[in-house]
Amino acid sequence: MLTSVAEPLLAVTALQSGYGKIRVLHGIDFNVAAGEVVALLGPNGAGKTTMLRALSGLLPVNSGQVRFDGRDMTNATPRDAARAGLVHVIEGHRVFTQISVTDNLLLAGYDLPRSERAARVEEALSFFPEIAEKRHERGGALSGGQQQMLTVAQGLVRRPRLLMLDEPSAGLSPVLVDRVLSVIGQLRRQGTAVLLVEQLLEKALAAADRVYALVQGNIVLQAPTSESNLPQRLERAYFGHESHASAAS
Amino acid sequence: MTAVTATPAHQEAGAIRAALPQLAPFLGILALAVMLPFISNDYWALIGTRAAIYWVLVSGLNLVVGFAGHLAIGYVALLTLGAYTTSVLVAGNVLPPVPVFAALPVAAIVGAMFGVIVGLPALRLRTFYFAMSTLGFATIVTQIALAWQSVTGGGIGISGPEFPAPFNTAWGFYFLCTAFAAFTTWMSANIARSRFGRALIAVRDAEVAAEATGISKPKMLIAIFLFAGALAAIAGGLFASLQTYITPDAFTFDLSVLFFIAILIGGRGSILGPMLGTIILTILPEIAAPLAAWSTFLYAVLLLVIVLVMPGGIAALLDFRNRRPLASNRAILPRPAALADIVRQRAGGSALALRDISLSFGNVRAIDRLDLDVAPGQIHGLIGPNGSGKTSTLNVISGYYAARAGTMTLGDAALPPGMPALRAARGIARTFQTPRVIGEASVLQNVMIGGTIEGRASFVEAMLSLPRNRQDERMLAAKARGLLGVVGLEPLADVRADRLQHSELRFIEIARALMLDPDFLLLDEPAAGLSSDEIERLAGLIKAISGRGTGVLLVEHHADLIFDICHQVTVLNLGRTLAAGTPAEIRVHKEVVSAYLGG
Amino acid sequence: MLASILASGLAAGAIYALVGVTYNTMFSTSRVMSFTAGQLAMLGGVFGSMFTLKLGMPIVVGLLLTLIGCAIIGIITEFVAVRPVLKSLDQHLYVLSTLALALMIQQVAAIKWGTEPQPFPRLIGLGSGVFDEKFWLPVVACAITILGLEYLYRRTLVGRAFVAIAEDNFAARALGLPERNLRVASYALAGVVGGIAGFSGGELLLAFFANGALLNFYGFVPVALGGLGNNRGAVVGGLALGLFQQAANFLVGGIFSSVAVFALFIVVLLAAPQGLFGASTARRV
Repeated sequence: MLTSVAEPLLAVTALQSGYGKIRVLHGIDFNVAAGEVVALLGPNGAGKTTMLRALSGLLPVNSGQVRFDGRDMTNATPRDAARAGLVHVIEGHRVFTQISVTDNLLLAGYDLPRSERAARVEEALSFFPEIAEKRHERGGALSGGQQQMLTVAQGLVRRPRLLMLDEPSAGLSPVLVDRVLSVIGQLRRQGTAVLLVEQLLEKALAAADRVYALVQGNIVLQAPTSESNLPQRLERAYFGHESHASAAS
Repeated sequence: MTAVTATPAHQEAGAIRAALPQLAPFLGILALAVMLPFISNDYWALIGTRAAIYWVLVSGLNLVVGFAGHLAIGYVALLTLGAYTTSVLVAGNVLPPVPVFAALPVAAIVGAMFGVIVGLPALRLRTFYFAMSTLGFATIVTQIALAWQSVTGGGIGISGPEFPAPFNTAWGFYFLCTAFAAFTTWMSANIARSRFGRALIAVRDAEVAAEATGISKPKMLIAIFLFAGALAAIAGGLFASLQTYITPDAFTFDLSVLFFIAILIGGRGSILGPMLGTIILTILPEIAAPLAAWSTFLYAVLLLVIVLVMPGGIAALLDFRNRRPLASNRAILPRPAALADIVRQRAGGSALALRDISLSFGNVRAIDRLDLDVAPGQIHGLIGPNGSGKTSTLNVISGYYAARAGTMTLGDAALPPGMPALRAARGIARTFQTPRVIGEASVLQNVMIGGTIEGRASFVEAMLSLPRNRQDERMLAAKARGLLGVVGLEPLADVRADRLQHSELRFIEIARALMLDPDFLLLDEPAAGLSSDEIERLAGLIKAISGRGTGVLLVEHHADLIFDICHQVTVLNLGRTLAAGTPAEIRVHKEVVSAYLGG
Repeated sequence: MLASILASGLAAGAIYALVGVTYNTMFSTSRVMSFTAGQLAMLGGVFGSMFTLKLGMPIVVGLLLTLIGCAIIGIITEFVAVRPVLKSLDQHLYVLSTLALALMIQQVAAIKWGTEPQPFPRLIGLGSGVFDEKFWLPVVACAITILGLEYLYRRTLVGRAFVAIAEDNFAARALGLPERNLRVASYALAGVVGGIAGFSGGELLLAFFANGALLNFYGFVPVALGGLGNNRGAVVGGLALGLFQQAANFLVGGIFSSVAVFALFIVVLLAAPQGLFGASTARRV
């Protein structure tokens, strides 16, 4: 799929990153257009989480370039990334258990002007009425699904241009998965781009406009979700048959 | 296993030639020490004696701090203990007077005992906590010395022991102390170079891997705490004699700081470095007299600089060999065929069987009623999504986790839950998801660690470098070199392991595991981070290992590798067996495909 | 005698508790136990005596300058001994770097201030006997400090950010919290708490360079008793330690009381490494 002539919202070129000596990503080229929902798929250990961390500044970029919204964001700090509107909701619904739901959200808006914070928190909570009810409870008192909603809400406090969600469905019941993922549709309607890392293939394909498949630190496939034989092609990519042949498509 | 031993005589000569560059600095220092009386005056005899006495203590403490990595910052307490024990015994104010050469061994025994008492917390506490407990001990020993007036003379003090002729002159005593220092250097170097020294470093830098190779941490630590305590107490006796009169004030915490910092300035895992450190720190305030008051400040600055700028200390500065660049285009070229010379061929043998194994972390079920059989000579693949319980299964087998329910058997014998250090003796070896290799040790030493439990010499034999220890060393080194050839890393044998690439570390781990000549080998994602060429070579190596009759349990994400080499594959999902069978069966299994794709 | 034990025990205990809180405050944002905690409290006494007695400043000005001085030392700790080693995988490095800095502070104090204990001024001049201010001042200071910290952690956004970083540093960074600045702030705060400990305990402990090492140990015991990062545990542990120590002092003599404290410390550490009052927070694996 060709991207438009204008620079995409997120443009990643030849990105390499990893943990210490262990190189996980071997030169990733990757784009997300403004308002687009992109799913990043791939088997375990392929480097999906590593990629999100490198984009948001949680991991150092060893080489390559990350441009966001026309600016060079290679090796920006997570704080700079969040300020620029590149917001990363990390995996594992890691809310702060000792403080209240509202405080969790206020912290997400730490950099915002004091006057705006409360309004932003309300705005984020409007996406999730079920946790808005529990705003005075401690983060630790929420169920796993509610904690996941809270972390997504934390991301929304920033009014992101691109929201990166790392396995928001992990450990949730199917009903809750749909509930969390339904927010993606809402965001798309209001023009927010989403980069979704997801294990559940069908859900990801349903939510996204376009998919990338990452296998062993390389992008092996890139396609719009409208293509019909996508599951079969992904299967082949994962299991290693003709994996590099399909990368060219 | 015997096939790799070359002729001993040839090896002996080679060993001496190889050791000469390492030996030369020590011989140089000894020569300087012997020459000192001819080029200086009694003032320098005092300083030389002090340096020698400090080194007697530091040479033991070095094994605790530099090798085992325990931050014992209060060793002045054991110096105090030795000084008072010797002085009190010689003065005879409690028991009938004892000659000083009889009092010293008694002090050594007392010191060894207290060395263990002070050290025991190290079995459970690390870093700051242990440092604090030794600091606390140092505080109370001084307070007791002050309070126990009937024995120690309290604040007034007590005379130090006097040595008989010819050691009652400044230079006579100097030579006595130098002889002690030379002897303790020899002993501590023997320990450091033996499998015990390597095991200490292994426990320090790769504790989990050390356990898997069967190293018992408590035994190791107790041995060196005995040794270090005894040396510290002997140093105390000599120190008391040098002082001629001791009060609790003589044993300031600054001394502890000096000992401790000498080791860190010298560099961890080195003998020469801390020795130079001790000499430098002893002389420094003397040659810069106005600085004497600031000496502790200076030591502290040095410590900070070392920590922040040069963590390797003097030893790293002197390590010229590891500054030569390595070939950047090197490849790992295993020679699986050479395995036949080192690993014995097994015929049949017993299977490793897991029945009904369950494991939970809190409310999360990591493993749920798992059955698994690994047959000898077979490669058994274990695959599944993240969090499906693959590594947990390996950890249950190797004893890091104790299963909540179920049994494990090896042939007819049960495999007790927990107790990872006992697995090596049962013929189970493993590698780790993140390679657990000792960066500061050479590649060869890393591999030799795998064979620690095969050594037969005791700690004392190693300390005195008796024939059995030398045999052990030759056997382990030859076997390790052979295995490095098998995994294709022989040219890197003498390189520090932290200079290697990630993929090379994975092969070191396999070589280390093979040192046990294991019946079962557990591989935790050995292909992660490897290039496709390397994965191919790894596949050949694993096949060769199983070809010798070793059962291999392979946890892996690389589906191609699993389907390529495994005889049996078990697929886990949410801690349960989703499917089991041959690769051909698994490949077409609907649920497996969808679990992998997360459908 | 009971009154004396209570008075001196609670006073000493409050000082130990404050040093324990100093440890915790630094630990919470950096996971580092710093040897400078006791030195900060020592400096609280030395600075206090210097500003008020030597330089003749009013008590309030002296207190303010003391706290500012200690806060600066706290910040220096972060920059010199903590930040450079945080990235390192070697857990033990911070022990060495903070120990080195602590030794430097102690040595400078010994040389510039003198190795003899020097007097500390009477701050208010209230009470005598067991109700002397030197006994109740540390207790009051401890109570005020704890209340202040509770207010900070529960009622202000900065305080909640501290709590968040202490619980999950990675998640806090991912959220875009200015983790580094908050860490520096917490070290300054720790300096202030340490300064309060030394200043309020000045009349009891005097301005003495060797207090640093002593308080390092006696301030760490409550942390070990109460669990790392648990301020309430540190207060309970500190007061218990003070009472235990003074009781032993009166009953069996000063020397054996320190042996008793040490034995207690080792036994607790070996029996319950996470502290008697349990882990402060339940952490996810």
